[in-house]
Amino acid sequence: MTLGPLLALIVVLAVAPALPGIATRTRAFFTGRRGAPVLQLYRDLAKLGRKGVVYSRTTTPVFRAGPIVVVASVLVAGALLPLNGHGALLSFSGDLVAFTGLLGLGRFALVLAGLDTGSSFEGMGASREVTISAFAEPALFLCFTVLVLATGELSLAGMLGERLAAVWPVAAPSLALAAAALFMLALAETSRVPVDDPATHLELTMIHEVIVLDHSGPELAFILFGNAVKLALFGALVVSVLVPLGGLQPLLAVPVLVGGLVLVAIGVGIVEASMARLRMNRVPQFLVAAGALAVFGVILLLR
Amino acid sequence: MTAVLLAVALILAGGGAALLLRRHPRLADPVYSALLLSGSTLGVSSAIAVLRGGPARLAILPGSLPGGPWVFGLDPLSAWFLLVVLGVGACAGVFGTGYLAPERRHRSVAGTHALFALLLVALTGVVTARAMVPFLAAWELMALSAYFLVMFDHEQAEVRRAGLIYIVLTHVSTLALVGMFAALGAESGGRSFAEPGMGAQPAGNARTLVLIFALLGFGLKAGAVPLHFWLPGAHAAAPSHVSAVLSGVMLKAGIYGLLRVLWLLGPPPAWFGWTLFLLGLLSGVLGVLWALAQHDLKRLLAYHSVENIGIILLGMGTGALGLTYGRPTLSVLGFAGALLHTLNHALFKSLLFLGAGSVLRATGTRVIDRLGGLARQLPWTALAFGVGSVAIVGLPPLNGFVSEWVVFQALLSAGGSHDAVRFVIVGAAGLGLIGGLALACFTKVDAAVFLGQYRSARSGLVAPADPVATMLAPMLLLAGACIGIGLMPSLVLGPAQLLAMSVAHLPGEGTGSYGNLGEAAAMISALGLGLVAVLAAALLLRRSLAADAGRRLAGTWSCAGAAATSRMQYTASSYAAPLLSAFGPLAGVRREREGMAFHSHVADPVQDVVVEPFWRALEQTGARLRAVHGGRLRWYLLSVIFTLLALLFYLTRAGSLP
Amino acid sequence: MSGLHELLLLCVVLTNFWVLGTTRLSSTIRATAIQGALLAALPVTLHPGWSLHLVALAAGTFLVKAVVLPSFLFWAIREAAVRREIEPLIGFSASLALGAVAVALSFGIAQRIPLPEPGSTLLIPVALSTVMVGLLVLTTRNKALSQVVGYLVLENGIYVFGLSQAERVPFLVELGVLLDIFVGIFIMGIVVFHINRAFDSLDSTRLSELKD
Repeated sequence: MTLGPLLALIVVLAVAPALPGIATRTRAFFTGRRGAPVLQLYRDLAKLGRKGVVYSRTTTPVFRAGPIVVVASVLVAGALLPLNGHGALLSFSGDLVAFTGLLGLGRFALVLAGLDTGSSFEGMGASREVTISAFAEPALFLCFTVLVLATGELSLAGMLGERLAAVWPVAAPSLALAAAALFMLALAETSRVPVDDPATHLELTMIHEVIVLDHSGPELAFILFGNAVKLALFGALVVSVLVPLGGLQPLLAVPVLVGGLVLVAIGVGIVEASMARLRMNRVPQFLVAAGALAVFGVILLLR
Repeated sequence: MTAVLLAVALILAGGGAALLLRRHPRLADPVYSALLLSGSTLGVSSAIAVLRGGPARLAILPGSLPGGPWVFGLDPLSAWFLLVVLGVGACAGVFGTGYLAPERRHRSVAGTHALFALLLVALTGVVTARAMVPFLAAWELMALSAYFLVMFDHEQAEVRRAGLIYIVLTHVSTLALVGMFAALGAESGGRSFAEPGMGAQPAGNARTLVLIFALLGFGLKAGAVPLHFWLPGAHAAAPSHVSAVLSGVMLKAGIYGLLRVLWLLGPPPAWFGWTLFLLGLLSGVLGVLWALAQHDLKRLLAYHSVENIGIILLGMGTGALGLTYGRPTLSVLGFAGALLHTLNHALFKSLLFLGAGSVLRATGTRVIDRLGGLARQLPWTALAFGVGSVAIVGLPPLNGFVSEWVVFQALLSAGGSHDAVRFVIVGAAGLGLIGGLALACFTKVDAAVFLGQYRSARSGLVAPADPVATMLAPMLLLAGACIGIGLMPSLVLGPAQLLAMSVAHLPGEGTGSYGNLGEAAAMISALGLGLVAVLAAALLLRRSLAADAGRRLAGTWSCAGAAATSRMQYTASSYAAPLLSAFGPLAGVRREREGMAFHSHVADPVQDVVVEPFWRALEQTGARLRAVHGGRLRWYLLSVIFTLLALLFYLTRAGSLP
Repeated sequence: MSGLHELLLLCVVLTNFWVLGTTRLSSTIRATAIQGALLAALPVTLHPGWSLHLVALAAGTFLVKAVVLPSFLFWAIREAAVRREIEPLIGFSASLALGAVAVALSFGIAQRIPLPEPGSTLLIPVALSTVMVGLLVLTTRNKALSQVVGYLVLENGIYVFGLSQAERVPFLVELGVLLDIFVGIFIMGIVVFHINRAFDSLDSTRLSELKD
């Protein structure tokens, strides 16, 4: 029973670093450039793993704990998702709260690690990061609310499992709205355009990139890997809402999930190619819009 | 019950000892601490015995006391709150000895210790009293001893003002409670809190009145928005260990009262549950938003209490609605969430206030933007405060997560219903927003106080350092409790669920039938331990990777500019600014520009926009009416005659004399 | 929850959110054009079977609501050189949230209105929420052209409402389409007479900057 989800988690973790590469490559393709290789992040991670680390003199152990907590929290959050559609490694009633809580823990550690350097660039990035997450959190819960209402299940494994396939015909509009909102949240939570631009080179305009300015070596690798896994997890949420994996054979579900993740990454790339970045004070509006979509989905189900 | 009486006697003796031995400070503090600790341990152990299924106890004070027999009792509900009162109270009391020791140079602190003991005794009385007169007596004793404790620094005008607002509003609360007991009915023989069915069950209008008065009296004490505005000032003004008890414990007297009334009256009308629910949502979101805007560490923590009371009320409201709509699972989950969060909030909020106290002792300031980088000088305080802040944000694997998880479950499981109660599910998004804002708020506090560089210029202080052991030990104990409950939630989930079932008058067959919290508790433990294991693995991986290539130190990267100075750090106010400005006027921040400098002030939207203008208008009306008082007797007589005539006219119109 | 018309109605609500959430006028106009097209398709999907009347109605609605008025509006923003709504009375996030509340309210109200046979359970709530969103835009936006868009949305709501009652009150829908002529006159007014009177209490400073 637990072997399937474990294998699925390992596959997703292995695929995760390819996703930002696919997104970037897609973006480059649509803007008429060649772009970095899809597997660039793997090389970066390997290279960073071999390098030494530089610590700022201002920092405390909080700075060193940050990357570890970031990576551990997303890994454990991944264990809560039913990645092959048939159960998760860890599953209990209300575990969606644990999922968001773990992502929150990672963010808490990342932000504190950034602020530990005393740099005002990092302070600015951290401030933006928590602003965005404060608006993303209720929208994420609204998406989960749609799933809870549609399936009557309180655990992620339940609401994204077999039940979901059964209720799709009845609750299609709400689920589609929730998936759209989740995709928007994925963009915000993993710092992609239109909320943040991973390709920007000016510190003043960065959000995620600027928080990790002082991280180096294996610690930076941890953070980059953590962010890629986060994108994969949100992508997995979108995919498993749209294509109920519980309706498929476990062996078939994992390839479908991986294919879906690739499509999500391509979607992210297309969004990045076709949209400009939003002004900072308009980002909450983007997230409120995601929330409004999910609210609409909730209303349709509560009717 | 004898154990509880003995505990009360020991605590009172501790207070007395502090007074008697005030000339021998070396002796006074240990004796006071020892008596306080032994009394509390005794009380806590008898509370735990009751919670583990021991018989509920009643005691009647001997002698003839005014207002009928003075009945005290210890049933599971009382025991749960007694645990909170004495557990947290003892920690804060011991902390207080170290905290107040430096004050000995210019004033006597024995009175404060004695008052603190009195406050704990009063709180014990509040949660165990079973009749009107002893309950109100304990309530008033609690209010007054808290008032004198708040006024500790009475030479500051700000403190006097906070104390005045507090004392006025707490009496409004007492007045409402007198009204509540009056409506509960005199025929119950003054034993109205004893048990359901003991007195005549009020029905119809009387029942509505009881609920309204309870909402007003207990809601005010709990600090629910919009009746919260007395709270931040008072809790910030008090000495830190007192703030810990005021915020962590005394607010819960209101929660206790509401639960006791629900237990007494049975299923409430729908409006009551919805009011609790909406008050919870309002207090939660606005409390944390206003906390985010604060510049003062202790005021910020006080506003967070408003937020947490909101979370508790969300749970309680859901539970009440479950009773109304006949959905026992909802009731049990809602009440269990509320009860658990009561306990957890008491633990982490008092921990945070004690942490704020040791920061205040070390640096002499509570202004967040003047602090920074204290993690190096106060590592243990930083660690304890960090644990408290992870807990209060509700992140796994600490205790705040456990109770918020239960409340979330209550909210989400409402969705399966076909009644109006299904709309409760919207509360989940509200609780999500609260969590997101709380994360922003505590990253702000932790970073601005403990990380980065020290912000103010070196004032005359000696290097700040961790406090003495008597202050540190209680903090570490509370932090340990936060971690313990977080990793082993089965310790508290079972009792909380049983207690919730008894509040909802459900037969205690097995907890499994009302939401399977027990089964999930094991999974949460697994989650926490799994997280710890993955953390350890990641740590080892980093060790092995970094060991090969070595490490070195450098300055913080400043984008090829000059080295960053402490004045260049991002301030806490700037950190919170984008989030606050997204909420516009709701956040209550006002900006002013003087020359080259910006200032921002935080106003409490309720106090500064509604309450104070209202009082000013009242005062002006009074001033205008003063003109009527000419001082001439004939005018007064004339007005009496006119009033009489008017009344007679009214009576003739009304038809008959009543 | 099935059928093409329900999907169309849901999309109508989504275009409402779009109108509420965007600053750029051209984008709001595009949203109303799409909304118009959706509305044009509605009568055809609601009533099975083809009739000349139905097709004519759909074609007419499409022509007026999805082609003529939007292109008219596009012409107007070019002429008037207004591109975005700068400072609405209520911020965009707040108006999106209000829009969500409006949708919730209209779903709540629709269940309590005793109306005969609306044809689809979604028609009335969608109509109500569209009317509310229209009113919201009309009252909280400062640019005269945004207000025209608001009016257009409001009127689209009335159109949907008319569809729900088309069986009992024939020609209600057609009358609704005729209302669009007012919109045309509005826009003409804004462009040709530079609107100085009707809206000047709202944002006269900006309106006086409109070019010839």
